Amino acid sequence: MSSLQWIDAKSVDEAATLLSADDSGTTIAKAGGIDLLDLIKEGIVAPARIVNLQRIDALRGVQFDDAKGLRLGSLTTLAEIASNAAIRQRYPALAAAAAHAATPQVRNAATIGGNLLQRPRCWYFRNEFFHAARAEGGREQSQYGAIFDNAKTTMMHASTPATALLAYDASVHVAGKAGRSRTIALGDFLLPPDFDRDRDTTLGRDEVVTHISVPPLKAGTRAAYHKQTERDSYDWPICDVAVVLTLTNRKVEAARIVAGAVAPVPRRMTASEDLLRSREIDEGVAAEAARAAVRGATPTDKNSYKVPVLETVIRRTISAAMT
Amino acid sequence: MSASDERHSRTVLTGIVGDTLQPIARNIPVGEPPELPPNSELRVIGKRVNRVDAVPKVTGEARYTFDVQLPGMLYARIASSTVPHARIKSIDTSAAEAYPGVKAVHILDRVLSIAQLRDPSVEANERFPLVRYNGQPIAAVAATSMRAAKAAAKLVRIEYERLPHVTTLEGAMADDAPVVFPGPTEQAATAGGGGAPPNLPQKGNLRGPARGGLGGGGRGDVQQGFAQADYIVERDYRTQVQTHTPMETHGLVADWRDEELTLYASTQFTLSVRDEAADVFKLPKEKIRVISEYTGGGFGAKFGIGNYGALAIHLSRKARAPVRLMLDRREEHVSVGNRPSSLQRLKLGARRDGTVTALQVESFGTGGVAAGAGVGFAHTAMYAIPNLSVEHYDVFTDAGPCAAFRAPGQVQGIFALEQALDELAHELGMDPLAVREKIDTNDTDDARARKVERRIGAERARWSQRRPTGADQGPVKRGIGVAQSQWAYIVHGTTTCEVRIRGDGSVVALTGAQDIGTGTRTVMAQTVAEELGLRADDVDTRIGDSRYPAGPASGGSRVTSSITPAARNAAYLAARDLAARVAQSLGASTEDIIFQDGRVFARGRPERGMTFVEAVKTANFDEIVHRADRREDYDGYRAKLGDLHISRHGIGGVQFAQIAVDTETGVVKVERIVAVHDCGRPINPKLIESQIYGGVIQGVSYALYEERHLDPGTGVQLNANIDQYKIVGSRETPAIEVHLIEQLGRQSSTDARGVAEPANVATAAAIANAFYNATGKRIFTLPMTPANVLAALRAEDQPEDRS
Amino acid sequence: MMELSLTVNGRRCTVHVDPATTLVEVLRDELGLTGTKIGCDRGACSACTVWLDGEVVASCMTFALDARDKQVTTIEGLAQGEQLHPVQQAFVEHDAMQCGFCTPGMVMSCAHLAERNPDCTLDDVRGAVSGHLCRCGAYPNIFKATLAAAAAMRQRKGGNT
Repeated sequence: MSSLQWIDAKSVDEAATLLSADDSGTTIAKAGGIDLLDLIKEGIVAPARIVNLQRIDALRGVQFDDAKGLRLGSLTTLAEIASNAAIRQRYPALAAAAAHAATPQVRNAATIGGNLLQRPRCWYFRNEFFHAARAEGGREQSQYGAIFDNAKTTMMHASTPATALLAYDASVHVAGKAGRSRTIALGDFLLPPDFDRDRDTTLGRDEVVTHISVPPLKAGTRAAYHKQTERDSYDWPICDVAVVLTLTNRKVEAARIVAGAVAPVPRRMTASEDLLRSREIDEGVAAEAARAAVRGATPTDKNSYKVPVLETVIRRTISAAMT
Repeated sequence: MSASDERHSRTVLTGIVGDTLQPIARNIPVGEPPELPPNSELRVIGKRVNRVDAVPKVTGEARYTFDVQLPGMLYARIASSTVPHARIKSIDTSAAEAYPGVKAVHILDRVLSIAQLRDPSVEANERFPLVRYNGQPIAAVAATSMRAAKAAAKLVRIEYERLPHVTTLEGAMADDAPVVFPGPTEQAATAGGGGAPPNLPQKGNLRGPARGGLGGGGRGDVQQGFAQADYIVERDYRTQVQTHTPMETHGLVADWRDEELTLYASTQFTLSVRDEAADVFKLPKEKIRVISEYTGGGFGAKFGIGNYGALAIHLSRKARAPVRLMLDRREEHVSVGNRPSSLQRLKLGARRDGTVTALQVESFGTGGVAAGAGVGFAHTAMYAIPNLSVEHYDVFTDAGPCAAFRAPGQVQGIFALEQALDELAHELGMDPLAVREKIDTNDTDDARARKVERRIGAERARWSQRRPTGADQGPVKRGIGVAQSQWAYIVHGTTTCEVRIRGDGSVVALTGAQDIGTGTRTVMAQTVAEELGLRADDVDTRIGDSRYPAGPASGGSRVTSSITPAARNAAYLAARDLAARVAQSLGASTEDIIFQDGRVFARGRPERGMTFVEAVKTANFDEIVHRADRREDYDGYRAKLGDLHISRHGIGGVQFAQIAVDTETGVVKVERIVAVHDCGRPINPKLIESQIYGGVIQGVSYALYEERHLDPGTGVQLNANIDQYKIVGSRETPAIEVHLIEQLGRQSSTDARGVAEPANVATAAAIANAFYNATGKRIFTLPMTPANVLAALRAEDQPEDRS
Repeated sequence: MMELSLTVNGRRCTVHVDPATTLVEVLRDELGLTGTKIGCDRGACSACTVWLDGEVVASCMTFALDARDKQVTTIEGLAQGEQLHPVQQAFVEHDAMQCGFCTPGMVMSCAHLAERNPDCTLDDVRGAVSGHLCRCGAYPNIFKATLAAAAAMRQRKGGNT
């Protein structure tokens, strides 16, 4: 007796067809399998059927072109992103984010597609008990929860590469049956985590992520990434920050500053971005921008310490991008 | 060898080698081998010998309980409570029993390893044991596969009548708090030093006061003492609940047969497994065999059979098949032990010259549904403090039970005490080491050791060049701090070793003791090899089997102190026996036969000797077998609690920590620890260093990261895993410099003492004192997470520094 | 049940598994290779580390079916007969273990690093075992052992050229 059925999809179309054939939500697509296995082991999902994407060659490969930018097949592993020479050179914030995610073992298996689709790491979410006994309520928020946009939930999207990808203005490409495909800006793709949904993205049930694209870089682009953890060995972030600046004559022409693990989804720190525009960055300006970023934070008693930590990390990451 | 009370006086050199070695007369039991010279004159003892079971560990051949696979073996899973406090109305196991592959289901009728009602009749009418924490084991299922056992365990239907619950220390201390136990309780001691003092008053959830641990207590008149003080430091300190998290979870393979019950156990004490199984199942001890080849860590929590073991045995009996029940990581965190929390109120008074006049300690700690949350014995036993009052209260909560954890109580107690002394030193404008010099003056070996250790450590840590408090201007502030350690020197009363010399010249040494990673096999092999003039590798050590001679518990830092004298005594008898058989052919008297470097020869004539194997062949026997006991310490003990014999001497240790505090992110990094330690005669410096590394690293982990988080609404542990229950990893491991001293106490035939616990005691306090040197702020709350650090840095109520 | 063929320590094996089975379950329960341990069963302690086509993976977080037609190396396959791998030998000499339960996984990660990069630094070693938990705290000796083994392998390599 098998606990579930396993199907090796040969093509995106086959995968999408298999996924669309099921409206009960018990067919789940699998890439690296890390998050899926975790959710199965925690008793949070119980798929009747796994559609294995690993044998679809169209989902593989990293391509870089100065004019077209970066294309990451959805099966690209975090280890591949972290070690890819072009990414390290051109998109260092992305390489750093991938290098600091999870463990070496997990990075060798975890794919960028799966990473973006992973469920939150919230203590409550990752515990079968709170799925079975939802009515009990009374959930006290942890010291790690969201400090922005947290009226509905303090759960946060768990992907740290997403922080860097959003700063680089990446898009997610998805495909369904019969060659239908969509391109979704990453900021529109990620949704605030929700116990009542089976996913935290706008991916359709009959769709798979085919690749992620990152636009080409303008001349004068500088970037930095920092994941602030309690431990360096292997840890989830208190916050992570990616800064992508485009400078012209030493003045900021464009800035994208994104913070992860501070809001339900990675958050553009637009107040900082606005403040930097057209200015020359020195330590004082970086500090001003960081201060502006945390204005309006709505922490709880337990996680108010995250506000000064975030401010510090934004300031330091802006400075790091300049060096 | 029968123990004899007869003694004779010998003059022996005692003290610290290279420092204070002096002749002293000791009354030594007749039959004890002659005292050993310092390690520099020995061949195997005191040498950096490789762990004798290292090869099976690096090749994966070492067989842990988790690896035991028996023909027809079943896999078991536990069904646990999903509520924090309730009466069980009904349990329906029919669906679980009907699940394909299920061979047996058992419902627990008695919960082990938690506090027990003094008067059990209070709950005698309950059909099932009351649920007192979320995750309490209730029943278990054995099936032909792990998958089937897991699925079936979920089908056990339990109907609850909920009762109000409380999970926090403060909540449980409130007047109107839900009461965890309806009457006074007792908590029996485990061989690991767990348990709580008996017959204490209990009101609501508060059990106590206990007045000092390990036979200690108050003295003098504290009010008078404070009246004599020029300065008084009064502070609250808080420590968190820490879970043991051994890499191999608790577990047992039970094989119930009519003729014998065989238990493969991941345990710190084979005989505690046997004895608890005999007690619970009303079996004669001889019908139970316990095997523990390798144990994947324990740290104090692996004693007895536990509820998981009881379930495995019941299931094996019902299914008539061997059953393996290993806990999963969640169950490990939740249900089989933790270091209890503490809230400690210390008041410390001193004169201007650093003389401490009085110490008052009031502490509260929660070990969940178990008692034993005291804060150790350092207040009583470490310093010369004339007026002392210690009052400890256990606070019951609806949370998993505490258990002994590497220096139980002492780690929490010293975190507060050594920080209070540091604060006092700064208040008085004195060097913290000078204050210790003033008060660390007891007539004990640990006080004598610490005196030397302070000096060595101060040099290595460049203490005299330390910078003033809060010297760094930038956001990252560095500092160093010092704290002292103390643990009891403990001997396991019933310890026997057997040494066999076989006709082919091979040598076997046996003890029932297990190895949880400390090196039981290796220290035993070295001791026997030294006596027989062999290498450690020449000695085949057999351990971890209750059929072997009774060995010590791996708890309380007592394996080496207990097993090496027994091993030496047995090897000594075997050597003398062999000497007598070959003396004639070597043309010498028995007393003049020497065993050295694999050879046997007459004193003064090494060239005319023979190899050890030749000597055995010359003697021509099938096998020589000698057993010997660990004799009582030559000066006796301060206290005997069953087999736990406690010397009036302790084990010392001094640690210096250098840390960096990022005052903007609140992240603390421990950069370097200088750890200066004593353990009597070091038997194997390589293994001792390993243990000290481990103690320091666990201390860093406790100080900075570890904390059990419970959901107050449900009592569920929220971080019962490895990624969110945070422990030191490779990148948080500081540079650790270990310095060992050799102290010959002359209380046993090897002078060996333990080191596992003393290595873990002082670290958190040293880090806290370094935090003050770095930032000028005290941190009174553990762990030093960014949340707690940033709060401490913002705090207004902070000491004034006069130094 | 599905058929799974893979090569383990150079030997071709075929087993039938439930698709939900993980690689470590196949190794331990089907093939009797119990050297590979499970510490957390969630990829957070790396006690289950094996090499999959030459790369370190957490075998507790690897679907067994993802190892189809791949080369798996476990701790049992690291030594050449009686000859320990240099990292194993160095672990013995530097006492890079206590209870030993995390040791097989540690050895697999450190041997992978030393083979891939015999010039590795202390930071590289820390990085290579950054996903491993050793609760006994053997890290300082694990670092020393791996650096010593790498140096020995470097020398051996140098000697051959």
